[in-house]
Amino acid sequence: MTDTSHRLYAVALALVVFCVTWAAVAARPWVTAKPDPRIAALAQREQRLRADAKLVEQAVAQRTAAYRVALKQRRAQIAQAKARPFQAAQSPPAATASVRVVNLPPLTITRSS
Amino acid sequence: MLRRSFHAMGTDVELLLDAPAGERAEQALDRAEAAFERLEQVMSRFRPDSELSRLNRDGSIADASPDLVRVVTLALEARQATGGRFDPTVHDALVTAGYDRTFEDVPAEAPAGPDRRVACGGAVHVEGLTIELAPGTRLDLGGIGKGYAVDRVAESLAVAGPCLVNAGGDLAVRGGAWPIGVAEGLTLELTRGAIATSGRDRRRWLRNGEELHHLIDPSTGRPAESDLVRVTVLADSAADAEVLAKAAFLGAEVDVPRVLVTADGRTVLAGGLA
Repeated sequence: MTDTSHRLYAVALALVVFCVTWAAVAARPWVTAKPDPRIAALAQREQRLRADAKLVEQAVAQRTAAYRVALKQRRAQIAQAKARPFQAAQSPPAATASVRVVNLPPLTITRSS
Repeated sequence: MLRRSFHAMGTDVELLLDAPAGERAEQALDRAEAAFERLEQVMSRFRPDSELSRLNRDGSIADASPDLVRVVTLALEARQATGGRFDPTVHDALVTAGYDRTFEDVPAEAPAGPDRRVACGGAVHVEGLTIELAPGTRLDLGGIGKGYAVDRVAESLAVAGPCLVNAGGDLAVRGGAWPIGVAEGLTLELTRGAIATSGRDRRRWLRNGEELHHLIDPSTGRPAESDLVRVTVLADSAADAEVLAKAAFLGAEVDVPRVLVTADGRTVLAGGLA
């Protein structure tokens, strides 16, 4: 009875050792795992997108700054234009006054205003 | 020749338009008349609700009309150019002298009042549509406002044809040749530019037995003392002519064609007119 039990234990232990050994050999721990090319591609794409996003942010910041400067200048121009009567735009360029003494009846008179 | 007369800015205004009678000409004259009314509402110191009154009352105005900004700027430039002989800050001096209401309402003999000098020359800042006055400074645009209005109206009326705009002696022409009576027996034909006359023969009154008038000498703050009765000046614009006429009346050397009428009755042509 005792020998039978021992044999059974021995067989079970051998079976366990065999399975563990099989699993260890099947895992092939001496071979380095090869990375998944799809994951690598995704990582590369993520890096590219991050770099592109930085460039876009820089471009937007530059253009916003330029726009704000231009807006400020334009607003100043508009304020000046509003403050300038339209005569500046419509007046003939610096017409020089022209006069002569005549012997005609006047159409109108000038007097102290 | 179309002619329209009306009262505006405390004086008689005359529009002459060399154009065929018709709806277009009438509309142009209507617009010109409306422009005078609008500009008076901006620049009058006698209308309590005018922009100028608001500025004088509050000491600053942030939403001034372009016209007010422009005419104040011109007035400040004129102050600089004439070395202070023309100065828009004579408001309080005029009021102290008795010219404190529209001239039609100033009594020929004003009630006795303090005879004191009023300081002129206060600071005025213009930036964009904002105008700020130094404390105690108030503006009177009577010395340039009519000329400015004449220039503006002449410019718009000229669209309808050669024209002359005359606001109480400050006048401008656009196109054509216009004989203008300047003094007794003296007529000038103006083909370009403007003419203005300043003098002490009108807008005068008595106070404390002394004859006062509206031409304030900014250096004394009192009505100017001069051997001249009036000065007529020719310039490119009515606003310039008005300023130069006042400066010449106050003794400034101005290098423009001018006619001086002296207290002893002589008429002197100068600046290339003789």
